[in-house]
Amino acid sequence: MAEAKSVILCVDDEAIPLTLRKSVLEKSGFAVIPASSGAEALAIIETQPVDLVLTDLLMPGLSGTDLARQIKQRRPELPVVLYSGVNEIPDDAECADMFLSKVEGPARMCEKIGNMLKSSRA
Amino acid sequence: MAATAWEKTPLDNDRRTYHPDASEKVNILMVDDQPAKLLSYEVILAELGENLIKATSATEALEHLLKKDIAIVLTDVSMPDIDGFDLAEMIRQHPRFQKTAIIFISGVHLTDVDRVKGYRQGAVDYITVPVIPELLRAKVSVFAELHRKRRQLEVLNQELERRVAERTEELRERADLLELATEAVIVRDSEGRIQFWNAGAEELYGWRRDEVLGQNIHELLRTESVNGNDEWRLDVLLSGNWEGNLVHYARDGREIVVSSRQAVKTDGEGKAGAVLEINRDITARLKTEEALRKAERLAAMGRVAGIIAHEINNPLEAIINAFYLLRDHPSLDPEARGYALLGEEELQRVAHIVRQTLGFYRESQQPIAISVPKLINDVLEIQARHLQVNRIVLEKFYDREAVVFGFPVELKQVFLNLIANSVQAMPDGGRLRLRIHQHTSSTTQARGIAISICDTGSGIKPDDAKRLFEPFFSTKSVKGTGLGLWISKGIIQKHDGSIHFRSVRTANGCSTCFRVFLPEHTSATMPRASAAAGDAAGRSNGGSIG
Repeated sequence: MAEAKSVILCVDDEAIPLTLRKSVLEKSGFAVIPASSGAEALAIIETQPVDLVLTDLLMPGLSGTDLARQIKQRRPELPVVLYSGVNEIPDDAECADMFLSKVEGPARMCEKIGNMLKSSRA
Repeated sequence: MAATAWEKTPLDNDRRTYHPDASEKVNILMVDDQPAKLLSYEVILAELGENLIKATSATEALEHLLKKDIAIVLTDVSMPDIDGFDLAEMIRQHPRFQKTAIIFISGVHLTDVDRVKGYRQGAVDYITVPVIPELLRAKVSVFAELHRKRRQLEVLNQELERRVAERTEELRERADLLELATEAVIVRDSEGRIQFWNAGAEELYGWRRDEVLGQNIHELLRTESVNGNDEWRLDVLLSGNWEGNLVHYARDGREIVVSSRQAVKTDGEGKAGAVLEINRDITARLKTEEALRKAERLAAMGRVAGIIAHEINNPLEAIINAFYLLRDHPSLDPEARGYALLGEEELQRVAHIVRQTLGFYRESQQPIAISVPKLINDVLEIQARHLQVNRIVLEKFYDREAVVFGFPVELKQVFLNLIANSVQAMPDGGRLRLRIHQHTSSTTQARGIAISICDTGSGIKPDDAKRLFEPFFSTKSVKGTGLGLWISKGIIQKHDGSIHFRSVRTANGCSTCFRVFLPEHTSATMPRASAAAGDAAGRSNGGSIG
């Protein structure tokens, strides 16, 4: 593989969904750094290279949209995807680059993330 | 001299503004061709303290009459040119001088007395010569007093007339205000007969005033209380005041709910008399309130649904991911992977159902071409086992080329709902007839596909028919969520389509048909909230489904 794997920072406060999601993404050829909170995610992007942030929406502490806003202040070029099981896109979802529903399933999630990475590189 | 002499005088024109002061001196016009006589009358009458005006001819007298308000004319009978009687004739012809007192002064001639008697009306008297001063004074004084009294009366009359006019105007204004009122203002007598009916009442109920006056109000409007009892009528009479809602029927049969205020007028002995009733139409307001309550209920339901959807979606995503990872796992043999694949697929269906029933999540999908026969066959495959168990005979009449643009997962759910309902309505067997054909909507002229699903099941009761498309309405007491048809209708509306049903009782049982129309193309490029429960067109009798 000539190209290095894209690095996805995957944020969720729930451990089991996070682990499974990490495996699904890795299976699709992404490198994944898991983070269990918004604060942890912010610390990681300071120290490690990250190509895309995939974050849960409803989390204790920093919510997905809070995290997206803080990331955009520091690194506006870093794509942030809100990933949630809520049935209505929140009003402030525009602070992120994309809203992705959990009900779309693993294949579409990977496909959309792949597309997002392609367009952010272009 | 002709009577035309009296036509249009300046004083005449000013008459309406002419207000004689009652305490004022009165004018006494003395007419005689001999100045000496005038002088003697002046002397005799001076002590009365009135205004004395002298004229030496009838013509001069007339001039004075025109210019001034003359109370008494004292005239010599025999004068050259126009004599006293001619003068009196002319005075009497004028309406303003009908009541002017005339005293003739004359020598005693029988003819004169006869002529004086000819003046039947008005204040007329005569005095013979030689004039006895006391007599003249007495007669003049009586007439002067009479004139003054009449003047006072006139002043009072004018004042009275003015006040009557003012009051009339005031009343008219009030009546006009009643006409302005948008409320129906009605007065009825103690027997219930309508006595007053304003424009608002005409507008509200549709009867004109002249059509209802005298009619019994309760019979005309078929008054009903909202709670069905008649206690309010007693309340009106007992308390004298009543406020509440009543049901009335307008001329065209329309039911109107009014907010009514009634007040009873009692006579001196406390007996009830006329009743004033002011009614405001609140039918539309009540309907709006009902609609709002419904909307609020739906909104609350939506919020609950949102929370449930979120709680289900989170673990669901994890499970789906687990199956997704399992299905290609190298450690599993092909059979185990196959099971994992089935599990994942079934879970995807759960995810879709959650999305459609509990969430109105917006897909960014565009509508795609769907083969309707294939879609229906897919649904029949899911139901295959039930069709077999219930011994249901399938009859298919398909137009193989039927294609619509839409959202396949959602449409599949619609037909799964409808076909499953039919299957469940025929637990002891029956016929399920499916028809797919090209159709042009008679209302929108849109070309598209009509799909009808007919069963010989238990039918739909008329009472249920009205509520069939309402959320949480179910005839399957335990098994049904009551959301199936509600969601189906929402999905069909999103596709710009329509859904109708008909349930009829036949000699062999019931026949229930649901007919869905889908236009070839839908304007819904972005499916939105499919949570609209609306009125469903339908006629029915018998059985149950849903």
